[in-house]
Amino acid sequence: MQREEKQLEATLHAILNRVNDLKTAIQALISKLENEYETINWPTFLDNYAILSGHLTGLSKILQSEVAPSLRSVVVLPLQLGCERDEALARLTEGRVPACTHDLVPDLLRTKPEPQAEQRLQQFNHKASTLSHDTAQKQVAQFTKVISHVWEIISKGREDWEGESMRSAGMQPTHSIADTHALVTAVGTGKGLRPGMPSMGPSGVGAPGLGPSRGPAPQLGPAAAAMPKAPSAIKTNIKAANQIHPYQR
Amino acid sequence: MSAANLAPITATDSLSQALKANIIPNQEYLLQGSVLDSAVEVLLHRLRGLCDNVDAGTETFDDQEVCFSLRDPNQQAAPLMLRVRKALDARDMPFQLRYIGQPDLGDKSRPTVVRSSLDIACSGMLIEFLNELGCRIEFEYSVKGYMFRKGRMKITVSKVFKISQSSMSPEPISQSYLVELSVLAPQGQDAIGEDMRAFADQLRPLVQLDKIDYKRLGHMS
Amino acid sequence: MKRGKATIICEVKNGSYSQYPVPENKTGTYVIELLTKRILALGASQQGQFLVDCESYLSHPQMGTTKTVHILHNSEQPASVFSILESGTKNIHVIADGLFDLLMMKLSQHYTSKKQTKIESKGPRFELGDFCVKLGSVTMNQNFKGILVEVEYRPCVMANAVWGLLREFLQGLLGPTVPVQPTQHLMSRMNEIYTPIDTIYQYLEHFSAYRKVTGMRNN
Repeated sequence: MQREEKQLEATLHAILNRVNDLKTAIQALISKLENEYETINWPTFLDNYAILSGHLTGLSKILQSEVAPSLRSVVVLPLQLGCERDEALARLTEGRVPACTHDLVPDLLRTKPEPQAEQRLQQFNHKASTLSHDTAQKQVAQFTKVISHVWEIISKGREDWEGESMRSAGMQPTHSIADTHALVTAVGTGKGLRPGMPSMGPSGVGAPGLGPSRGPAPQLGPAAAAMPKAPSAIKTNIKAANQIHPYQR
Repeated sequence: MSAANLAPITATDSLSQALKANIIPNQEYLLQGSVLDSAVEVLLHRLRGLCDNVDAGTETFDDQEVCFSLRDPNQQAAPLMLRVRKALDARDMPFQLRYIGQPDLGDKSRPTVVRSSLDIACSGMLIEFLNELGCRIEFEYSVKGYMFRKGRMKITVSKVFKISQSSMSPEPISQSYLVELSVLAPQGQDAIGEDMRAFADQLRPLVQLDKIDYKRLGHMS
Repeated sequence: MKRGKATIICEVKNGSYSQYPVPENKTGTYVIELLTKRILALGASQQGQFLVDCESYLSHPQMGTTKTVHILHNSEQPASVFSILESGTKNIHVIADGLFDLLMMKLSQHYTSKKQTKIESKGPRFELGDFCVKLGSVTMNQNFKGILVEVEYRPCVMANAVWGLLREFLQGLLGPTVPVQPTQHLMSRMNEIYTPIDTIYQYLEHFSAYRKVTGMRNN
């Protein structure tokens, strides 16, 4: 007997915890709705429902489990109904239920769905049971067809999106690491851009004879050009230099 | 005396104010990669879809860059590198003079290369000025390609050419286009690096934009 | 190329007025006030202040022949930095945006600033019809050095075409016996289109002259 009481207490405790969790989650949801409705990020707001449903699942698991069989044999009996305010009850319910009235008790102690809901459920059940097997099959097939069509569209879109990546994985590459390195070092250190010179060579540029592809001297062409009253002989030089060197205005 | 008649503050003062307020964009955040010639059209197509400045067609450029070095007189530090860029397709535009500091790759958690950078628009006899200043031409190349913008990010897709002496067409140095993603920002705006990473991911696997240490690469080969 | 307006900068020396002699012991402020009164009497209106400054950097001795980089700013072109490199007999200039000052900091190993020769000309700026007149007191290292008067005739872009007019205007303002001579630089550019760098060259020439005469006119 004592063992059973203890078990009952533990179960009640667990249920209470779950219900409290559920309550805080609902409170958070409501306060969010009331205070942040202007700035709310709706996708994250939907996550709150996931939390709620998590708590509900937890609660129903406890109720269904074998730990709680004794609960089924416990009866709740409303002893007194009245319209007068019951301070103790109001405090217990944080002000939500000020009195145990006739109005509230049917809802609070209900173990079955509301009559209206029950009626509609019955209607649906009836409709389902009168439906012929063939019609049902037909409708299911139709639905499957629509779904699979949508699925096809989506997966085709995805294929297009990822097509390039798949192709590059399976087929020719679009970039080469070696080329990247060659380009970056060329631009960064001049490797391959200095004629006949190792990179960072100290004095090669000015030296004659280096670099069969281009001599370095013409770079200085604009220097001559910049002097305001250069003799005409130099001016012809400038023209020649101008064609290969763009830095002359 | 009215406010308009107040003495103008000196350039030095306004510069130190700007330095103090940290509003000078002197840091470059950089990611680099390349794309094979055969795939460049696909990349450009994708960039046209992603970037801002595409309404009036793709922006192109055709520049020549000369890289100068100025050796440390005390022989202690590495030579200072200065780059001069000139638009060949818009000759009345000013030169672009660039100082680029040592690249800082940081650890793995840093999304991009960060290097100090000064971008200065110049007109006048810049090349001769630098020569007389004591700078020596290290190398030069021409670079031709496309420029895209996405917010503060700049994306260039360009072909790098050797400068040829004769009037023959310039010789590309590789069968790929260089792809660079960069942002110039004041110090400490490291959040932009994450944006750049996110953008770089959208170009995968066409192009793999990475932090590349050209200094180390240069030593390896 | 951006066009400027023909400008002439003239040095006012103490005691060079015959009509309004400035006593030797009077300060630069006195001369500026006097000239301000005169130009306001002509019907000019003051339009703010102006400032032209110059800092010079010398190359490191290890780098061979000494070269000087002059960095100048002019409040008329507040976004520009004017840089003139003096190498032997040649002057090479570059006009850059404000970040050029930062680059000079990066070059501090190679070029060091001669702080004690930092020099500036600053004072009121007047507009009088097509003329713009600036009365600048020149200070080097906080020491008063003299007065530079800049007159700009805005409708004209070639110095030669307006030289006579500018001289007449200046002599009207300063007194007929004040010698008005174009600087060497302006001399060589009399028939060229005038640009802001030409003003800078004129200032540099005057500044360099002031630097050579040190400790003389300390009032």
